[in-house]
Parts: sequence; C-alpha cells; structure tokens
Amino acid sequence: MTTISSYLLFVLLGLGAGAAYAILGLGLVLKFRSTGVVDFGHGAVAMFAAYVFIQLRSSGVLELPWIWLPHEVTLSSQGLGTALAMLIAVAYSAVLGLILYQLVFRPIQGSSALTKVCAAVGVMLGLQAVAVLNFGTQGRSTPTILPSGIVRVAGLIVPVDRLYFAGLVVVLAAALALVYRYTRFGLATRAADENPVGASLMGLSPTRLAAWNWVLASVLAAVAGILISPIATLDPSSYTLFVVPALGVALVARFRSFAVVAATGLGLGIAQALITKLLTVWTWLPQQGLVAGLPFILIMIVMTVFTPRLAARGDQARSTNPSVGTPRAPFRTALGCFVVGVVALFLLQGSLRSALISSLVTACICLSLVVLTGYIGQVSLAQMSFAGVSAFTLTHLATDLGWPFPLPLIAAALVAVPLGVLLGLPSLRLRGVNLAIVTLAAASAMDAFVFAGGWFSGGDAGRNIGSPRLFGWDLGIARGHEYPRVIFGVFVLLVVCAVGVAVARLRMSATGRMFLAVRSNERAAAAAGINVSAAKLLAFGYASFIAGLGGCLLAYQQGNISGSSFGAFASLSLLAIAYVAGVGRIAGAVVAGVMLSPNGLFVTLADKYLHVGVYATLVAGLALTLTAIQNPDGIASTKAGARGAGDALVRLAKKFNAHGENVGAPLGPPSRFQAKAADPIEVQWSGERG
Amino acid sequence: MTALLEVHGLTVTYGGVTAVRGATFDVPAGRMVGLIGPNGAGKTSLVDALTGYTRPSGGTVLFKGQDITSLAPHRRARVGLARTFQSIELFDDLTIEENLAVASQHVGLLFSLRELVSRARPVDRDAVDLALSICNLEAVARRYPAELSHGQRKLVGVARALAQRPSLVLLDEPAAGLDTDESFELGTRLRAMPAYGTSVLLIDHDMSLVLTVCDEVMVLDFGALIASAAPAQIRRDPRVIAAYLGSRGDGDDD
Repeated sequence: MTTISSYLLFVLLGLGAGAAYAILGLGLVLKFRSTGVVDFGHGAVAMFAAYVFIQLRSSGVLELPWIWLPHEVTLSSQGLGTALAMLIAVAYSAVLGLILYQLVFRPIQGSSALTKVCAAVGVMLGLQAVAVLNFGTQGRSTPTILPSGIVRVAGLIVPVDRLYFAGLVVVLAAALALVYRYTRFGLATRAADENPVGASLMGLSPTRLAAWNWVLASVLAAVAGILISPIATLDPSSYTLFVVPALGVALVARFRSFAVVAATGLGLGIAQALITKLLTVWTWLPQQGLVAGLPFILIMIVMTVFTPRLAARGDQARSTNPSVGTPRAPFRTALGCFVVGVVALFLLQGSLRSALISSLVTACICLSLVVLTGYIGQVSLAQMSFAGVSAFTLTHLATDLGWPFPLPLIAAALVAVPLGVLLGLPSLRLRGVNLAIVTLAAASAMDAFVFAGGWFSGGDAGRNIGSPRLFGWDLGIARGHEYPRVIFGVFVLLVVCAVGVAVARLRMSATGRMFLAVRSNERAAAAAGINVSAAKLLAFGYASFIAGLGGCLLAYQQGNISGSSFGAFASLSLLAIAYVAGVGRIAGAVVAGVMLSPNGLFVTLADKYLHVGVYATLVAGLALTLTAIQNPDGIASTKAGARGAGDALVRLAKKFNAHGENVGAPLGPPSRFQAKAADPIEVQWSGERG
Repeated sequence: MTALLEVHGLTVTYGGVTAVRGATFDVPAGRMVGLIGPNGAGKTSLVDALTGYTRPSGGTVLFKGQDITSLAPHRRARVGLARTFQSIELFDDLTIEENLAVASQHVGLLFSLRELVSRARPVDRDAVDLALSICNLEAVARRYPAELSHGQRKLVGVARALAQRPSLVLLDEPAAGLDTDESFELGTRLRAMPAYGTSVLLIDHDMSLVLTVCDEVMVLDFGALIASAAPAQIRRDPRVIAAYLGSRGDGDDD
C-alpha cells in the first residue's frame, strides 16, 4: 500500500467516530436552541439506546431504564432483526428524551446556569449508574449494521460503511437545516429561541416546541449510539463521555449551525484518526493522550480564543445563585467540630474510621467549590484534576526528592495554583454553562495527557507516598498492622478545620464581599472599582490551593494513588454532591463529605448494614437532579434541610406560580411608560404658569 | 483652573445609529451639573462612554487632566469617577451596608492574603456612614436589597457610588421611580456633595428636578449637546423647549 493511500484509509476510518460526534452534536444543538440546556447527559442517552439495541438484537430482551423492578422484558426468544431492533431502540430513546424533558428540564426552564448544569450532570450520572447496575462495566460489541465490504476506487481501499456514515451525517444535517429554515416548526423554534416571551404572546408554546426538539434530539442520540456500536466497544462510561467531543463540535458551531456541526464532527474524527497514524510516523510526538485529548484542546481553544460571546439563553433568566452562609464565630465552630471529630475518630473502628477520614478529605476538596462556585459563582468541573496534580506532585516531592513534611504538602498544593489561575482565564470571557464546558474539557484533557500514564502519574501502577513525619513523629495512616490510625485522622481533621476557618473568614472579609459582588453583578462590580478579572483569578487561585491540599490528603490516605481517582467523572460527582449539599456554605461541604460522598461515612454505614453501596452513584445522580429541580440552593441552605416533603411541594407549587407571573410580566411596563410620559408634560405646564 | 472632567468630541455609534454626536463639555470641580434630554437623547450612552462601558467611536475624555478614554471601567472608578445605573444594579447577596463597603475598599492579592491571617482592616466607615446618611438609608443598613422598596433600592445605588468617595459621580436617572417629594429630597441632599469634595453630574429627563437643584444644566438631544447654561436661561431656551415638545421652536414663534 502506498503511503498516501494508507493516510487516506485513516481519513476514512476516522469518519466513523466523526459521524457519532456530528450526530450527537446535532442533538445538542437542538436541545440548546429550544431550552438553553447544554445536556451533559446526551451521551448517556445514546449509551442507553445502544444497549437496548444490542440486547434486542442479540437476545430479544428489552432493557428498561430502572432497577429493582423487573427491567428485562423478553420480546422474542432469539434476537430480533436488525431493523426492528433499531426501530425499537430509537422509539425507546424518543420516549426517554420526552420523559427527561418533562420531569427534569421543563421545571428548571429559566433557572440559573448552575442549576441546569447540575440537573444535566445528575441525569448523566443517574443513567450511567443504572447502566452499570443493569449491564455491568464489561465492554460489549455487536456485528456490523451497514454493508461492511470494501470497494476499490482508483487503487484505494475504501471501507464502504464509513462512506455511509459520512453520507448519513450530511443528509441529517441538511434535513435539519431545511426543517429549521422552512417549516413552521423550525421557524417557531427559532422565534422562541430569540424571544420566549414574545413567542408565547404570539400563541406559540415554547414548552411544546422544546419537547418536540428534545424528542428529535434523543432520536439522533439513539442513531449515533446504534451506528457506532459495531465499531466502538460499548460500555457505560466511554459512551457517556462521547458527549465531551460532541460538545466541542457543537461549540465550534456556536450551538447554531447544523452544517458546521456536521463538518466539524467529521473533521474531528478524521483528525483523531490521522493523529493515530502520524504517531507511528513522527515518533517525537507525545505518544500519550494526543488522540483522546485533541477534542478537549479544540474546545478550549475555540471557547477562549474565538468565542467572545456565546448566545447563552440561560443568561437572560434572572439567575438564582446558591445562597451563601454568614458564618458566625468560625473559630469556636471549628473547635467544636474538631472535638466532635476526634471523639468520632476514637469511637469508630476499621472501615468506618477510614470512611470518616474519606469524608473529611472530600469535605476539604468541596470547600474549594464553596469558594469558587459558592462565593464567586464560577462553575468548575475540574476540581479533582487540581487535586490530582497536587497529589502526584506530592509523591514526587516527598518520595523521590525526600522533602521533609510539611514542605511537600504546601508546595504541592501551591503547584495547583498557577494551573487554577490558567483555567480561570476562560472565566474572564465565559459564564455559566460555557465555563462549565471548558472546565470539563480541561478535566478531560488532563485525563488524557496527565493522568492516563507517563512518568508523572506512574501509569497503572500509580505512585507511592510514604507516611508524613513531623519531628520523627509518624502521622501516617498505617503502621505495621495498625490501620487506619487515629493520629492520621486527627491530622486530616486539623487541616480541614483550618481550611474551614479560612473559608469562613474569607466569606466575612472584604475579599468575600468582593467575590459576592462579582457573583451578583459584574457590571456593577466594575463600577464599584472592583477588578472583576483579578477577583475571579484570585478565587480560582484560592480554590485550586484548597483542592490541591485535599488531593495531598487523599494521597497520604491512600498510600498509593493512580490517575483514575482524578478523572473527569470524579470532578463531576464532586460538583454534584457539593451542589446538592449546598455549595455556598461550609456546612454544605461537610454534609457533602459525610453524607453524600461515595466513600464517606453515611454511604459506608448504609452499605455495611443495608448493602446499598452499589447504588451510591445512582442516588447521587437522582439527588442532584431532584435538588436542581426543587431547590436551586442545595440542602444545607434550607432551614436545617428538615422542612419535609410537604414544604417541597409548596415550593414546587410556588415555582409554577412564578412561571405564571412571568407570562403576565409583559403587561407591567406600559403603566410605567405612562408614568414616565407624564413627567415632561407636567414640566411644560409649570413652565407656562411661570 | 482646569475642569475636573473634559469631554471633547465624544461620539458613540451602534451600528449605523449615532447615539452621541461629538459631545463637548466640561464639568468643573465643586459643582453640581445637570444633563437633561428626552428619552432616546443619548444620555445613558454618554454615561456608558464616560465610564468605560461603551467604547466611543471618537473623541477624548480627560479626567483630572488624565486621558481616560480607553481605561477599563474599574480603573476609572478608582481614579474617582463613579456612576450609578439607570436600571438598579445592586449586589443582592450583600446587605446594604456591605454593598457600600465593597465600593469603598480595594482588595488586591496581598490585602486579601493579609486579611485571611490577621484581623481584617476596618472598612472606610466614614465613607459608608456618610453615604448612608445622605441617602437616608441608616435604618435599613442591615437589610438586603430584595427587602427594600424600588425607591430605596435606587437610593442604595446612589449611596454605593458616593461610598467610593469619588471626585465626580455620574448619576444616571437617580430619581426615576421616586415620587416627586422623594426626588426633591434626594436632590437637596445631593446638593451637599460638592462640600464633601464630590462633584455631581446629574442625568435625568425630569427637567423640574434638574433645573431646581443644579448649578448648571446641559441639554442633550439626538446625541448632540444643544444648550449649556444656568437653569434660569435653560428654562427660556427655545431649542430646549422644542426638544421637549417635539416640535420646532421657531415654528411656534411665527
């Protein structure tokens, strides 16, 4: 085979993944244009459809998206035909999309970007968790769907199915573009996109339009999932994360142009395939991460360099920020917590003591989100990446270079600061959901380049870290058979209490006021002499330092760490539990660590006595979604979080009332205009009298 | 004596529409100057251009003799040029007092690190208290913006600008939404500001308020400055009356 033709073969092979990115991207555009939601769960829907398809095709069993209740319905004793299985999977996906829209995304229309991000992340985690429970994590494959032969064109070997893929993408994009351009449905959706209130005054129903768009998008997700299932091994997490490159594609198209989505999606697939080829030719290229990391690099460049302003519809809505606490007497509170914590460390034994220590470590990392998301309102889906960078730096400083404790702890946490500030740079231009996408891309890029292997993270073996020793005093979690040791728990508790006090002081300080001012209103903050950019970067710096400290504690706790602890999913789950628990409050971080963290005290207890630990992710996803719908502020923000279900209903009712008021709102202004118009007339009269 | 604020040929265009056309004027120190104009005259565009929220397409702005035409908004605030917003833009998560404190204090990296470890430096209490008392907000200092009436929130915006101890404050329709008594009370209180070292540029379409409390009044119409004189003269200026009546003044004379 000639060199040129071998390159062309890779180009064609790339069309497979590229088609999946493009079709998923088309669905993301539909969802965004109709509801302003960037659906992180879009890939999970595709994943589910692919499972349904494969199961139907291989064994004739229909998989339903729930647990406990019987979730397998046998439609046929042997597999269904490919076309029928496909049809059922697509219809299934459409219904799933409609249900998700009605239950989750319709109620939060008009909520803040953070709420929408969390709801979408909750759906994603929930679907993924159900898939893990019902299907396991073992990869599955299925025979090809499209004609798989090869044709020879001018001496080139061309796999036919890839041509079908590309053709399908072009057809779909063209069809959508035509529908949006020329049909009443498309026109109405565009109108509602431009001006929801105006559209509803014209007799269009934005919610019905959104529901249809959502169904259409879910159908596309199913198509993508089914098409790619023969060429990419199906497992819950990799298909769910297909959403990240698809987001990149949708972003390049500014969540608008279908044609750009199609072209970028295919182009991205081709670029990835070509890089795979080039790596074998240009061996000086970084062998690790380039293929997987490329989409994320693309996202970051596009969003930070070429995108001054995205039409984020969520920005129009009166944003409801999570409430923040006003900590009183932080020292006394911290002292109280310390005493309670020490007592608990002595009382608990074995796995429960470990769980308590895990809770504390998680609480520490969550405190970074209290500063960043709570105080200054910046969504970050990369906090675990900072924790990871610090954790690995710690192993290098302490184990390899032999720095004496506590120097490596502090230095490693400081290493996360410039990284955090770097990630903060996009936040100077991007807000809300757009920032969330960039940070998720950054986390995924770090996964690919830093945590997947190499000298820094030690690959599969991970890296070891010895016990911290202070003046010859062993603070480590293990000594001989003694594990976990109370003294290590006390050390962690001390660090967490200190961070807690600092975060509380920050809230009540001039810096905290400045952060809150920026969160409330950037325009007004600038008018008050606040350098908004500097304030954001400062917050990113503080937050990544705290996350870095947490990562170091995690490293000391585990003794051996590997990159898998710090993946993009870990960051997503972290934001999820921090948000559910109340991301504006220190108590929220503690609740997140103790009650919600998958390795934390409560879940471990529940698992020990009720054996429900396998459901932790599912519960986290559900809780996240429900919290986003019912209470944008999180649990810790309600009065002791104990108002009960009745109150939740009242809240929901109020929310619907609020929607009603919004519809009435356009009637307000005219009376004000009248009042204004009256003023000059009065002036004229007084002038005449004078 | 040079003026505090010197504006030369300031022009603001949005697409093909010229909102401010070659505005040229001075605001001397220690004065209370009014700027009036009917709706759509370009008042807010002018304020936005003066404070860095809109990039002017031409002209220069000198403040205390320094060219600030391309300075970022927060830098202008720090050199002593404060503003309020026509739409109320408060910090909803902060109490009224904190809203003012934020404006009176600059936080840099070192300051921020220092206040984490040591006792926080007290805010500029005098500036905050003075601003609260001028705007008659002492009673609600510990409340949150959402708990206040529309008129009071408007006043908080004014107070926040005053708490910066600015040399010049641009008030963008501070009286809109206040009733007649309230707006005249505010005007009277603002008259005291020059004595505290803060000159005032009061922008409003309520002629009676501006003509009553200001030392000097400028009139803007369709982006151009059509008059600048003492209130008594402005009252009689045919061009001003024409602008407000929306018909040609010379037509009336015939």
